[in-house]
Amino acid sequence: MPRVGVFLCHCGTNIAGVVDIPTVAEAVKQFPGVVYVDDNKFSCSEPGQAAIRQSIIDNGLDRVVISACSPRMHEITFRKAVSAAGLNPYLMEIANIREHCSWVHSDNKEAATEKAIELVKMAVAKVSLHQELFRKRISMEKKALVIGGGIAGIQAALDIANAGHQVILVEREPTIGGRMAQLDKTFPTLDCSACILSPKMVDVSQHPNIRLLTYSEVEKVQGFVGNFEVEIRQRARYVNHTTCTGCGICWQKCPEKVPGEFEEGTGQRTSVYIPFPQAVPSKPVIDTVSCRYFKYLDFIDKKMEGKKPPPCRICEKLCPPQAIDWEQKDEIIRETVGAIVVATGFKTFDHSVYGEYGGGRIPDVITSLQLERLMNASGPTLGEVVRPSDGTHPKTVVFLSCVGSRDEAKGRPYCSKICCMYMAKQALMLKEHDPGVQSYIFYIDIRAGGKDFEEFTRRAQEEFGVLYLRGRVSKIYQDDKKLMVCGEDSLIGRPVEIAADMVVLATGVEPSEGAAKVAQTLNISYDTYGFMVEAHPKLRPVETNTDGILVAGACVGPRDIPDSVAHGGAAAAKVIGLLSQDTLTTEPLTAAIDASRCTGCLLCSQICPFQAIDMVPANGKSIAVVNEGLCKGCGLCVAACRSTAPSLKGYTDAQILSEVLALCP
Amino acid sequence: MDDKITLAVREKAKELLEQKVVDCFIGYEKATDNLTSRPLFVYKPEQAERLVFDNTCVHNLSKYLLNKKDTKTAVVAKPCDARAIVVLLNENQVQREKIYIIGIVCPGVVDSRWGSAGTEPEVRCQGCPQHTPPLYDFLIGEPTDEVEQDAYTDVTAMEEMGDADREAFWKEQFQRCIRCYACRNVCPGCYCPVCFVDLKEPLWAGIRVAPGENWMWNNIRAFHLLGRCIDCNGCQRVCPVNIPLMLLNRKLKKEVAQAFAFIPGMDPKALAPLATFKKEELAEPSK
Repeated sequence: MPRVGVFLCHCGTNIAGVVDIPTVAEAVKQFPGVVYVDDNKFSCSEPGQAAIRQSIIDNGLDRVVISACSPRMHEITFRKAVSAAGLNPYLMEIANIREHCSWVHSDNKEAATEKAIELVKMAVAKVSLHQELFRKRISMEKKALVIGGGIAGIQAALDIANAGHQVILVEREPTIGGRMAQLDKTFPTLDCSACILSPKMVDVSQHPNIRLLTYSEVEKVQGFVGNFEVEIRQRARYVNHTTCTGCGICWQKCPEKVPGEFEEGTGQRTSVYIPFPQAVPSKPVIDTVSCRYFKYLDFIDKKMEGKKPPPCRICEKLCPPQAIDWEQKDEIIRETVGAIVVATGFKTFDHSVYGEYGGGRIPDVITSLQLERLMNASGPTLGEVVRPSDGTHPKTVVFLSCVGSRDEAKGRPYCSKICCMYMAKQALMLKEHDPGVQSYIFYIDIRAGGKDFEEFTRRAQEEFGVLYLRGRVSKIYQDDKKLMVCGEDSLIGRPVEIAADMVVLATGVEPSEGAAKVAQTLNISYDTYGFMVEAHPKLRPVETNTDGILVAGACVGPRDIPDSVAHGGAAAAKVIGLLSQDTLTTEPLTAAIDASRCTGCLLCSQICPFQAIDMVPANGKSIAVVNEGLCKGCGLCVAACRSTAPSLKGYTDAQILSEVLALCP
Repeated sequence: MDDKITLAVREKAKELLEQKVVDCFIGYEKATDNLTSRPLFVYKPEQAERLVFDNTCVHNLSKYLLNKKDTKTAVVAKPCDARAIVVLLNENQVQREKIYIIGIVCPGVVDSRWGSAGTEPEVRCQGCPQHTPPLYDFLIGEPTDEVEQDAYTDVTAMEEMGDADREAFWKEQFQRCIRCYACRNVCPGCYCPVCFVDLKEPLWAGIRVAPGENWMWNNIRAFHLLGRCIDCNGCQRVCPVNIPLMLLNRKLKKEVAQAFAFIPGMDPKALAPLATFKKEELAEPSK
C-alpha cells in the first residue's frame, strides 16, 4: 500500500474563501492510502515547500498529492519540492481545486467543497498507481544548419560561428547575399546596401567555422533536436571550384547572353556567370538551359532535326586553370546537425495579374526591384536611371503602392510593410540622381512606423518635393511616349491623370519560391500565403513548434533589413543556447509501445503529429517504437491503437481509469 | 454451377503450383454435404482437381493469409475478399510480394447453410456495388466497369427508427450475444495479438454475458472496424444467435463514406481516413 500525503493549499482566500479546507482535510483522511494530510496558506511559498519536504521525510511518504492551482502554474515547482525530499518527482499529482473548482464555483461553497473532495480523491487514486519515471539524456551534435544566405541567414550563421559552433550555410542561388544584395541604398539612412553587406558576405566565406554550400538545396531532414540528419543536394556547377581562381575570363568571353535573374530582367548575364561582381563565392556556375554546349548536347541526345547548334566550349578553351568540368554531377551531402535556422526570405509579388497596370506588357511600367537595379552603380546601366523602352531619362515618375498588398481581391490582404519606406527612398534618390525628376506616389496610407521612418518620409515630401496622392490608380495606358496614369485623389475627391515617363510598381512581399516545400521537408507549419509560422507570435518569435528548428527574416512575414538582422541574431542566440549543452534531457512523460501487443499496422505512426514513431523489424514483423526525443506525450497513439499497445507514461489507461472509478465506484 | 470458373481456378492452381510460383493455393472445395463449400488448402498440383468455385463459396479466405506470412500463397478472392486483402496491405499485415490473388468477377453468393445450398442471395450481395476485385494478379471473368452506388436501404431503415426504438432494437439484439467471439475470429480485420476484450487490466468490457457488457463488446468491435470493414458478411454469417452485425458495420461504413469520401479496401496505398486530415473534410458532410 502506498503512503500518500495530501497537501491542501489555501491560496490565500483564492481557494479557502470558497472551499472549506478543514472539511476537505477530514474527508481526505478516509481515502485509501492517505497517511498524512496538511494544509498551508501558500504551498508554493518557500515555507509551504519546506513543510512539504519535511512532511515527506518525517512521515515516510512515497506518494504526494498537491491540492492547489493548475499544474500549468506550479507543477514544476512542486516536482522540485518533492524531488528535494528524495522522492521521484513523478510520484506527485496535482488536484486542481482553484481554476477547476473555487474560481468557477464561488457562488456555491458547499458544492465546491464537495467537488474539491472528489478531485482530491481522484488524484489520490491516480497517484497510488504512479511509478518512478526518469529523464533521459540524448546527445547533441554541436553543429547548426542555416537554410538561406540572405541577410537574416548570414547574420544567424555568423553569430553561431562566432560563438564557436560549426555552421553549414545552404544557399540555393550561386551566391549568398539574397535580396539585400540587389538593393542600391537602404532606408532611412541611405547607406549603400552592398557596402554594408559585402563585408558580412566575405566574413562568411572566410570564417573557419562556416561551411558555405551555394547552388545547393536541402532535400531531406530526419531526426529531432540535437540530431537532425540532413541531406543537401549540391547542384552541378560544371566549374571545379577548387581549381577555379575566379579570374573572370570565362564570363567575359562567353558568347551567349540571357536576361539576368539578379538584374530582374533589366540587364543580361552570360551562360557561365557570377550573379554580380561582389558575389560570394566569386566563382562561376554554368547555366545548362542557355549554355550553347549543353544545347548542342541536348540536340545530339534527342536526335533533333534541323541545324546543329555550335558546340561552343569557349570557356573551356580559355580557362587558365582548366576548371571547366562538363562531367560534374549533382552531389548529395549528408550532415548531422543539432539545430536548424530557416531563413528562406521573400520574393516580390508577380504584378502581371494587375491588368489595369498593363499586366507586365508596358515596358516602362517597372517594379521597384527593377528600379533598384537601374539606380545601382553596379547595375546594368551603371546607375543611370533610364526608360527600358528607349533609354531616355524619365522626368516624371509615378509610384503605385500596394501592388499585391492590402488587396483581398488578389489574395494578398496583408501589408507588405517595407513598400512605403522604399518608395519614399526611391523617389528621394531619383531626385538626387537627377534634380529635374518629379515623383508622384499614389498611396493608401503612409506606414512609416519605425525609428527615423516618419522623419524620412517627411523629408522626401518636404525637402525633395515628392508629391503624395492618396488613392488608387484605376488604369495605366500608353499614349505615344507617355504613360497616362489615371487615378483618384481621394482627399480632394477628384480624378487625376498624370502623363508619366515611367511608372514604378511597389510590388508586395511574398514567401520565396519553394518555401512551402522547405516547410514540408522540415515538418514545420506555414500559413495560407506560405510564410513560416512561429511557435508564438509574441513570446517565441523565432522558434517553431518543432524543437531545434528556428525561423528568421522575411520567411516569417514581411520584414525590413534591421528586423531581419535582429531576427537572424535572435535565432542564432537560441541555437547557441541549445548547442552550448552537451546533452539534452527528455521529458519522461512519453508514450511507450508494448511490442508484444503491437500488430505493426502503422496507424500510430501515420497519426503521430511529431513523426515520433518509427517502424523497426522485430521477430519477423515490423513493430512501432517511440522515439523519446521526438515524442511530446500527446497520447494520440494511445487513443488510436486498437490493440492498446501504446501507453502514456504518467497517464496510463489504468491510472486514468482509477480516477474514473474513484469518482463513480 | 458455373463450371467455367471452377475449371479456370483448377487450371491456374495447377499452373502456379507446378511452376512453384506459390507454395500454397487457398480455394474452395465441396463440403461433405455435397451442397455447400468449404475452404481448401492445396499444396500439390494434383490436388488442384478438388477445387471448385460456385455461388456457395461464401467464405472470405483472406484471413488465412495472416497465418501464411512467410510462404508465397495464392488465394481465390471475390471482390469483398480482395478488398479485405487491400485492407491488410494498408495495415502492413501481409506483403504484396508474398501473395498471388486469383480475382473472381463475382455474380454474388447465396445464403447457404450446412445441408442446404440455398437460393436467396446473401444480404451483402443484394445491391453490391463492386463486382470486380479492386486488386488481383489473375482475373477470372470479364471485368465490369459500372460501379453502382451503395443504396444503404437497410441502414436508412434503421436510421428512420427513432432514437428510442433503435436503442431498444439493438438492446434486444445484443442481449442474445453469448460472447463466443466467432465474429472476431472470422473477421480479417480482427488480428490483434491481444483483443481489448481479453484484457483484465484495465477491464474495458467485463467477461460476463450481460446486457451492459455485451453492448460494450459489440459496439467497441464495430468502432474498431470503422473505415476498415469491407462488407464480407463473415461476422453475421457465423453468428450463432443471428445478430445483424453487418447492419452496424454498414451504418459506420456509410458515415465514413459521407464524412471522408472513403470506401475501405479499394486502394492498397490508401491511408486510414481517421489517420489523415484533409482541409475539405471540415465542410459539413453531404447527406
